[in-house]
Amino acid sequence: MTAFLLTLAGAALAVGLELLEAMAIVLAVAAERGRRDALIGAAGAVALLAIAGFVVGPVVLARIPLEPLQVVIGVALLLFGLEWLRKGVLRLAGRRAPSSALAEYLEEREALHALAPPVPGRPDWPARIVAGKGVLLEGLEVVLIVAALGAGKEGLAPALAGAAVAVAAVIAIGAVVHRPLARLPESHLKYAVGVVLSAFGVFFLAEGLGVEWPGGDAALLYLAAALVTASQIQVTGLAREAPA
Amino acid sequence: MIAQLRKLVLGETWTLPLGVAITLLAGVALDAAGPGWWHRAGGFVLLGGALATLVASLRRR
Repeated sequence: MTAFLLTLAGAALAVGLELLEAMAIVLAVAAERGRRDALIGAAGAVALLAIAGFVVGPVVLARIPLEPLQVVIGVALLLFGLEWLRKGVLRLAGRRAPSSALAEYLEEREALHALAPPVPGRPDWPARIVAGKGVLLEGLEVVLIVAALGAGKEGLAPALAGAAVAVAAVIAIGAVVHRPLARLPESHLKYAVGVVLSAFGVFFLAEGLGVEWPGGDAALLYLAAALVTASQIQVTGLAREAPA
Repeated sequence: MIAQLRKLVLGETWTLPLGVAITLLAGVALDAAGPGWWHRAGGFVLLGGALATLVASLRRR
Protein backbone atom coordinates (compact mmCIF):
# COMPACT_ATOMS: atom_id res chain seq x y z
CA MET A 1 0.00 0.00 0.00
CA THR A 2 2.90 2.38 0.85
CA ALA A 3 4.46 1.81 -2.57
CA PHE A 4 1.07 2.21 -4.30
CA LEU A 5 0.32 5.53 -2.60
CA LEU A 6 3.84 6.93 -3.05
CA THR A 7 3.85 5.90 -6.73
CA LEU A 8 0.48 7.60 -7.22
CA ALA A 9 1.56 10.77 -5.42
CA GLY A 10 4.97 10.87 -7.13
CA ALA A 11 3.48 10.36 -10.60
CA ALA A 12 0.72 12.92 -9.99
CA LEU A 13 3.16 15.60 -8.82
CA ALA A 14 5.83 14.95 -11.46
CA VAL A 15 3.34 14.74 -14.34
CA GLY A 16 1.36 17.73 -13.08
CA LEU A 17 4.41 19.97 -12.81
CA GLU A 18 5.77 18.96 -16.22
CA LEU A 19 2.36 19.44 -17.84
CA LEU A 20 2.07 22.84 -16.20
CA GLU A 21 5.31 23.90 -17.89
CA ALA A 22 4.16 22.49 -21.25
CA MET A 23 0.81 24.26 -20.86
CA ALA A 24 2.55 27.57 -20.12
CA ILE A 25 4.40 27.33 -23.45
CA VAL A 26 1.28 26.32 -25.44
CA LEU A 27 -0.80 29.09 -23.85
CA ALA A 28 1.93 31.63 -24.64
CA VAL A 29 2.00 30.50 -28.29
CA ALA A 30 -1.82 30.59 -28.43
CA ALA A 31 -1.93 34.10 -26.98
CA GLU A 32 0.80 35.52 -29.23
CA ARG A 33 0.37 33.61 -32.50
CA GLY A 34 -3.06 31.99 -32.50
CA ARG A 35 -4.78 29.06 -30.83
CA ARG A 36 -5.01 26.86 -33.94
CA ASP A 37 -1.26 26.69 -34.65
CA ALA A 38 -0.46 26.24 -30.95
CA LEU A 39 -2.84 23.27 -30.75
CA ILE A 40 -1.52 21.74 -34.00
CA GLY A 41 2.05 21.94 -32.69
CA ALA A 42 1.01 20.45 -29.34
CA ALA A 43 -1.01 17.68 -31.01
CA GLY A 44 1.98 16.72 -33.18
CA ALA A 45 4.13 16.44 -30.07
CA VAL A 46 1.49 14.36 -28.26
CA ALA A 47 1.45 11.93 -31.22
CA LEU A 48 5.25 11.57 -31.02
CA LEU A 49 5.01 11.07 -27.24
CA ALA A 50 2.44 8.29 -27.71
CA ILE A 51 4.95 6.50 -29.95
CA ALA A 52 7.73 7.12 -27.40
CA GLY A 53 5.50 5.74 -24.61
CA PHE A 54 4.81 2.60 -26.62
CA VAL A 55 8.49 2.10 -27.41
CA VAL A 56 9.67 2.68 -23.81
CA GLY A 57 6.90 0.65 -22.12
CA PRO A 58 5.57 -2.40 -23.99
CA VAL A 59 8.53 -2.72 -26.38
CA VAL A 60 11.68 -2.04 -24.29
CA LEU A 61 10.82 -2.35 -20.57
CA ALA A 62 8.49 -5.35 -21.02
CA ARG A 63 11.33 -7.40 -22.53
CA ILE A 64 13.90 -6.89 -19.76
CA PRO A 65 13.95 -9.52 -16.94
CA LEU A 66 12.85 -8.23 -13.47
CA GLU A 67 16.22 -7.76 -11.69
CA PRO A 68 18.08 -5.99 -14.52
CA LEU A 69 14.90 -3.98 -15.12
CA GLN A 70 14.90 -2.83 -11.49
CA VAL A 71 18.53 -1.72 -11.88
CA VAL A 72 17.73 0.21 -15.08
CA ILE A 73 14.64 1.82 -13.53
CA GLY A 74 16.51 2.56 -10.30
CA VAL A 75 19.31 4.33 -12.17
CA ALA A 76 16.80 6.29 -14.31
CA LEU A 77 14.77 7.38 -11.27
CA LEU A 78 17.94 8.33 -9.39
CA LEU A 79 19.10 10.48 -12.31
CA PHE A 80 15.74 12.27 -12.51
CA GLY A 81 15.13 12.36 -8.76
CA LEU A 82 18.54 13.67 -7.71
CA GLU A 83 18.40 16.36 -10.42
CA TRP A 84 14.96 17.55 -9.20
CA LEU A 85 16.24 17.37 -5.63
CA ARG A 86 19.45 19.29 -6.45
CA LYS A 87 17.48 22.08 -8.11
CA GLY A 88 14.94 22.01 -5.27
CA VAL A 89 17.66 22.43 -2.63
CA LEU A 90 19.20 25.34 -4.56
CA ARG A 91 15.78 27.02 -4.92
CA LEU A 92 14.84 26.57 -1.27
CA ALA A 93 18.26 27.91 -0.24
CA GLY A 94 17.73 30.99 -2.42
CA ARG A 95 20.61 30.01 -4.75
CA ARG A 96 18.40 29.57 -7.81
CA ALA A 97 15.32 31.43 -9.07
CA PRO A 98 12.09 29.86 -7.81
CA SER A 99 10.31 27.60 -10.28
CA SER A 100 7.39 29.41 -11.90
CA ALA A 101 5.27 28.29 -14.84
CA LEU A 102 3.74 31.79 -14.87
CA ALA A 103 7.21 33.37 -15.32
CA GLU A 104 7.90 30.85 -18.07
CA TYR A 105 4.60 31.81 -19.74
CA LEU A 106 5.49 35.50 -19.66
CA GLU A 107 9.06 34.90 -20.91
CA GLU A 108 7.79 32.72 -23.76
CA ARG A 109 5.28 35.40 -24.77
CA GLU A 110 8.03 37.99 -24.82
CA ALA A 111 10.28 35.77 -26.97
CA LEU A 112 7.43 35.04 -29.41
CA HIS A 113 6.59 38.73 -29.60
CA ALA A 114 10.05 39.35 -31.08
CA LEU A 115 9.41 36.95 -34.00
CA ALA A 116 8.09 38.15 -37.37
CA PRO A 117 4.26 38.16 -37.32
CA PRO A 118 2.48 35.21 -39.01
CA VAL A 119 1.28 35.64 -42.60
CA PRO A 120 -2.56 35.51 -42.61
CA GLY A 121 -3.96 32.36 -44.24
CA ARG A 122 -0.61 30.50 -44.11
CA PRO A 123 0.50 27.85 -41.58
CA ASP A 124 2.50 29.49 -38.78
CA TRP A 125 5.39 27.00 -38.58
CA PRO A 126 7.49 28.92 -36.01
CA ALA A 127 4.48 28.87 -33.63
CA ARG A 128 3.83 25.17 -34.27
CA ILE A 129 7.49 24.31 -33.70
CA VAL A 130 7.73 26.30 -30.46
CA ALA A 131 4.54 24.71 -29.08
CA GLY A 132 5.50 21.23 -30.30
CA LYS A 133 9.06 21.40 -28.95
CA GLY A 134 7.85 22.59 -25.54
CA VAL A 135 5.30 19.80 -25.23
CA LEU A 136 7.75 17.21 -26.57
CA LEU A 137 10.55 18.03 -24.13
CA GLU A 138 8.32 18.29 -21.06
CA GLY A 139 6.26 15.28 -22.17
CA LEU A 140 9.29 13.09 -22.72
CA GLU A 141 10.18 13.44 -19.06
CA VAL A 142 6.56 12.54 -18.18
CA VAL A 143 6.76 9.39 -20.34
CA LEU A 144 10.06 8.30 -18.78
CA ILE A 145 8.95 8.98 -15.18
CA VAL A 146 5.57 7.23 -15.57
CA ALA A 147 7.20 4.26 -17.33
CA ALA A 148 9.86 4.02 -14.60
CA LEU A 149 7.39 4.29 -11.71
CA GLY A 150 5.02 1.90 -13.51
CA ALA A 151 7.72 -0.75 -13.85
CA GLY A 152 7.61 -1.43 -10.09
CA LYS A 153 5.80 -4.27 -8.32
CA GLU A 154 2.56 -2.27 -8.19
CA GLY A 155 2.44 -2.13 -11.99
CA LEU A 156 1.29 0.78 -14.14
CA ALA A 157 -2.04 1.34 -12.32
CA PRO A 158 -0.89 3.81 -9.60
CA ALA A 159 1.43 5.68 -11.99
CA LEU A 160 -1.33 6.03 -14.59
CA ALA A 161 -3.90 6.99 -11.93
CA GLY A 162 -1.52 9.67 -10.64
CA ALA A 163 -0.94 10.90 -14.21
CA ALA A 164 -4.70 11.06 -14.80
CA VAL A 165 -5.22 13.10 -11.61
CA ALA A 166 -2.45 15.45 -12.76
CA VAL A 167 -3.94 15.91 -16.25
CA ALA A 168 -7.34 16.77 -14.73
CA ALA A 169 -5.75 19.23 -12.28
CA VAL A 170 -3.66 20.94 -14.98
CA ILE A 171 -6.68 21.28 -17.30
CA ALA A 172 -8.61 22.83 -14.40
CA ILE A 173 -5.76 25.26 -13.75
CA GLY A 174 -5.52 26.02 -17.49
CA ALA A 175 -9.20 26.93 -17.56
CA VAL A 176 -8.64 29.75 -15.08
CA VAL A 177 -5.00 30.38 -15.76
CA HIS A 178 -3.16 33.27 -14.06
CA ARG A 179 -4.12 33.23 -10.40
CA PRO A 180 -3.80 29.50 -9.55
CA LEU A 181 -0.52 29.40 -11.50
CA ALA A 182 0.92 32.26 -9.46
CA ARG A 183 -0.21 30.70 -6.17
CA LEU A 184 1.27 27.23 -6.70
CA PRO A 185 4.30 26.55 -4.46
CA GLU A 186 6.13 25.04 -7.45
CA SER A 187 9.61 25.03 -5.91
CA HIS A 188 8.39 23.06 -2.88
CA LEU A 189 6.37 20.65 -5.03
CA LYS A 190 9.37 19.99 -7.28
CA TYR A 191 11.55 19.41 -4.23
CA ALA A 192 8.96 16.85 -3.02
CA VAL A 193 9.01 15.11 -6.42
CA GLY A 194 12.80 14.93 -6.16
CA VAL A 195 12.53 13.23 -2.77
CA VAL A 196 9.93 10.69 -3.98
CA LEU A 197 11.73 9.83 -7.24
CA SER A 198 15.10 9.51 -5.47
CA ALA A 199 13.59 7.26 -2.78
CA PHE A 200 12.11 5.00 -5.47
CA GLY A 201 15.44 5.10 -7.34
CA VAL A 202 17.45 3.85 -4.33
CA PHE A 203 14.72 1.30 -3.51
CA PHE A 204 14.56 -0.25 -7.00
CA LEU A 205 18.32 -0.14 -7.55
CA ALA A 206 18.90 -2.02 -4.29
CA GLU A 207 16.22 -4.60 -5.06
CA GLY A 208 17.71 -5.11 -8.51
CA LEU A 209 21.09 -5.77 -6.87
CA GLY A 210 19.64 -8.45 -4.57
CA VAL A 211 19.00 -6.37 -1.42
CA GLU A 212 16.06 -7.17 0.85
CA TRP A 213 14.83 -3.97 2.54
CA PRO A 214 14.04 -4.17 6.27
CA GLY A 215 10.30 -3.46 6.50
CA GLY A 216 9.60 -4.21 2.80
CA ASP A 217 7.81 -1.37 0.97
CA ALA A 218 7.85 0.72 4.18
CA ALA A 219 11.56 1.26 3.41
CA LEU A 220 10.37 3.93 0.96
CA LEU A 221 9.27 6.00 3.95
CA TYR A 222 12.60 5.89 5.78
CA LEU A 223 14.47 6.42 2.52
CA ALA A 224 12.36 9.53 1.88
CA ALA A 225 12.95 10.68 5.48
CA ALA A 226 16.73 10.26 5.05
CA LEU A 227 16.66 12.22 1.78
CA VAL A 228 14.58 15.02 3.34
CA THR A 229 16.93 15.23 6.37
CA ALA A 230 20.12 15.29 4.29
CA SER A 231 18.75 17.76 1.74
CA GLN A 232 17.35 20.09 4.42
CA ILE A 233 20.80 20.18 6.05
CA GLN A 234 22.14 21.25 2.64
CA VAL A 235 19.40 23.89 2.28
CA THR A 236 20.30 25.35 5.69
CA GLY A 237 24.04 25.26 4.94
CA LEU A 238 23.70 26.86 1.49
CA ALA A 239 21.29 29.52 2.76
CA ARG A 240 23.82 30.51 5.47
CA GLU A 241 26.73 30.87 3.01
CA ALA A 242 27.35 34.25 1.42
CA PRO A 243 25.54 34.66 -1.91
CA ALA A 244 27.55 33.34 -4.92
CA MET B 1 17.36 20.24 -29.10
CA ILE B 2 20.09 17.60 -28.54
CA ALA B 3 21.60 19.69 -25.74
CA GLN B 4 18.15 19.99 -24.14
CA LEU B 5 17.59 16.23 -24.41
CA ARG B 6 20.99 15.55 -22.81
CA LYS B 7 20.11 17.95 -20.02
CA LEU B 8 16.74 16.25 -19.61
CA VAL B 9 18.22 12.77 -19.20
CA LEU B 10 21.58 13.46 -17.53
CA GLY B 11 20.80 16.76 -15.81
CA GLU B 12 22.65 20.08 -15.75
CA THR B 13 25.83 18.75 -14.13
CA TRP B 14 28.03 15.75 -14.86
CA THR B 15 28.43 15.16 -11.12
CA LEU B 16 25.03 13.42 -10.88
CA PRO B 17 25.42 10.83 -13.66
CA LEU B 18 29.01 10.24 -12.51
CA GLY B 19 27.94 9.76 -8.88
CA VAL B 20 25.09 7.44 -9.84
CA ALA B 21 27.48 5.39 -12.03
CA ILE B 22 30.02 5.10 -9.18
CA THR B 23 27.23 4.10 -6.75
CA LEU B 24 26.01 1.43 -9.18
CA LEU B 25 29.51 0.05 -9.81
CA ALA B 26 30.28 0.01 -6.07
CA GLY B 27 27.00 -1.84 -5.48
CA VAL B 28 27.78 -4.49 -8.10
CA ALA B 29 31.33 -4.95 -6.72
CA LEU B 30 30.21 -5.18 -3.08
CA ASP B 31 27.42 -7.61 -4.01
CA ALA B 32 30.01 -9.87 -5.64
CA ALA B 33 32.44 -9.49 -2.70
CA GLY B 34 30.03 -10.33 0.14
CA PRO B 35 26.53 -11.38 -0.88
CA GLY B 36 25.56 -12.25 2.73
CA TRP B 37 25.86 -8.84 4.34
CA TRP B 38 25.01 -7.08 1.10
CA HIS B 39 21.63 -8.81 1.02
CA ARG B 40 20.78 -7.28 4.42
CA ALA B 41 22.57 -3.93 4.43
CA GLY B 42 23.46 -3.08 0.82
CA GLY B 43 20.49 -0.73 0.48
CA PHE B 44 21.97 1.62 3.06
CA VAL B 45 25.27 1.67 1.16
CA LEU B 46 23.37 2.70 -1.98
CA LEU B 47 21.45 5.33 0.00
CA GLY B 48 24.81 6.67 1.22
CA GLY B 49 26.04 6.79 -2.39
CA ALA B 50 22.93 8.70 -3.50
CA LEU B 51 23.27 11.21 -0.65
CA ALA B 52 27.01 11.68 -1.33
CA THR B 53 26.19 12.26 -5.01
CA LEU B 54 23.59 14.89 -4.08
CA VAL B 55 25.99 16.69 -1.74
CA ALA B 56 28.80 16.60 -4.33
CA SER B 57 26.50 18.00 -7.03
CA LEU B 58 25.54 20.89 -4.73
CA ARG B 59 29.19 21.68 -3.97
CA ARG B 60 30.20 21.70 -7.67
CA ARG B 61 27.87 24.28 -9.19
